[in-house]
Amino acid sequence: MIYRFCLSVLAVLVGAAITGGAASAHPHVWITVKSELVYAPDGSVTGVRHAWTFDDMFSVFALQGLDSKKKGEYTREELAPLADVNVTSLKEYDFFTYAKANGGKLEFNDPQAGYYLDYNTKESVLTLFFTLPLKAPVKAKDLSLEVYDREYFVDFSFAEKDPVKLVGAPAQCKLSVARPQEMSAALSQQLSQLGPNQRDPSLTVGAEFANKILVKCP
Amino acid sequence: MSVKPVVGGRPVVHFALVIAALAGLMLVAGALDAALAQGGPFGAPRAQAPAPPMGGVLGWIFAKQAEFYRQFSSLIRAAKADGSVAWGLFGLSFLYGVFHAAGPGHGKAVISSYMVANEETWVRGVVLSFASALLQALVAVVLVGIAAALLNATAATMKRAVDLIEILSYSLIILIGVRLLWVKGRVFLTTLRALHRPAAVGAAVTPAYSLHGHGHHDHQHDHAHDHALAHAHDHGHAHADHDHDHHQHCDGHAHDHAHHHHDHDDHASAWGHAHAPEPEELAGPGGWKRGLSAIVAVGLRPCSGAILVLVFALAQGLFWTGVVSTFIMGLGTAITVAAIATIAVFAKSWAKRFADTRSGYGMLVMRGIEAGAALVIIGFGVLLLTGYMVSERMVGL
Repeated sequence: MIYRFCLSVLAVLVGAAITGGAASAHPHVWITVKSELVYAPDGSVTGVRHAWTFDDMFSVFALQGLDSKKKGEYTREELAPLADVNVTSLKEYDFFTYAKANGGKLEFNDPQAGYYLDYNTKESVLTLFFTLPLKAPVKAKDLSLEVYDREYFVDFSFAEKDPVKLVGAPAQCKLSVARPQEMSAALSQQLSQLGPNQRDPSLTVGAEFANKILVKCP
Repeated sequence: MSVKPVVGGRPVVHFALVIAALAGLMLVAGALDAALAQGGPFGAPRAQAPAPPMGGVLGWIFAKQAEFYRQFSSLIRAAKADGSVAWGLFGLSFLYGVFHAAGPGHGKAVISSYMVANEETWVRGVVLSFASALLQALVAVVLVGIAAALLNATAATMKRAVDLIEILSYSLIILIGVRLLWVKGRVFLTTLRALHRPAAVGAAVTPAYSLHGHGHHDHQHDHAHDHALAHAHDHGHAHADHDHDHHQHCDGHAHDHAHHHHDHDDHASAWGHAHAPEPEELAGPGGWKRGLSAIVAVGLRPCSGAILVLVFALAQGLFWTGVVSTFIMGLGTAITVAAIATIAVFAKSWAKRFADTRSGYGMLVMRGIEAGAALVIIGFGVLLLTGYMVSERMVGL
């Protein structure tokens, strides 16, 4: 019986571990994403150039305690240590960037030197610029790029205007962007009735709620 | 009541059932922590993420707290120009607190498990929840007040401070769990051994306990209200008057056990084995001191949202508005955590009522539930400390 008891407790702990593994809070940081897919002359994708703009509350928080010559203004040089912190901690989360080519996952190297932060005085927001090079450039007929935090601590969304650009891509490549949309109450209701692996074809939810870039090349 | 039927196969099934109920209970608290964060935004299942489906209500809570949180920055900015906007900010802080506590990181799971492991009343649960939530607010205010307002420390420094506090807090949770397990585990094993003893030792013991049973009768008339539970525990191995005394511990808590402690020692010596600590050792008069450790363990880690709001308010020159807002947030949080802790207490007394109808094994099950809850606390502590379960990520971007 002790055995049985221990087994139950173990089950509880394992259950807690599984459900708790990826747990976090609701978003505390909002990021507006602009991305560029960079192509080599031979038509292969070499990497992703990101420009991430943080929300004002987080921007103000991140700037806390940072010295600047002019009050309320920060130069790239003054922001350099902060940019280092950002890029270093983002490594832990794979830069929240997930790419697939022809159905297979793509691996990224850490950002090259040259990343930086800009401060927009008017909006009081920070923007982080960095480039993620692919480990191996790839020629892809189907390429998808997603930016999200699976723990949903950071809420990512593509910019309204020019969210994605293709840089040096073959002329025939076609780009489409699927961005998350605000959910209506009715849709929320429908979603809550779906099973975990169930898809309602009329909802096309996956596409609507992921920040997804799709590039099709012949 | 005879001992025989309890030793048979069926009670084992009941035992397993109650344990299953316990597992469900603990997971309600624990999984609530986890489930909220698992799904994608706005309750949508997310590609690639192994997310369980988000219920409509959870999804709604989830969307709401994000919505409230997003309004903080604009309201604080507006309060700068128009002081009366602060009232709106306070109202928002309260709502945010209520909703946010339903999410992870506010010790619901730990407090609920603590409530189950101990003989606590719902009033204590409420007090514990309020004290820990207010401590949490206080820590956030003190941290930002000293680090940001006085020392002009960077966000990265504050993150490191929170990381340290986190380690301390989670270690304390593990310690509390280990201590509870030490107490509850021994009681469980004693109950278990005692339960098997009559069957094994047989006649040799019988006279002793029938005598003891008689003595008990008188005793009960005198003190029935004081220490109903303590009795219940002992009767677990006394096997005398089961039906009789089980009526009394439905209230689910024991006061003043200190004075009848020696009575029990007498019983124990009649049985010829050492007496394990009383199950309610952690409640009763001395319980507040131990409750304090739970308050500190749970309340030590400040909420990331509060820190951001405080730093933002500070930057706008409205630090004190931020402080009031943080405490109101804590109040909202406390209400939700208190509600969940209360549910845990009533769920346990329900389990107890169920267990009571199973005579000897019923007590064993209750002790098992308590020891199990202690294990769950350790489990949460370890998962949090190792970073396997993230209660709330501190902003490190």
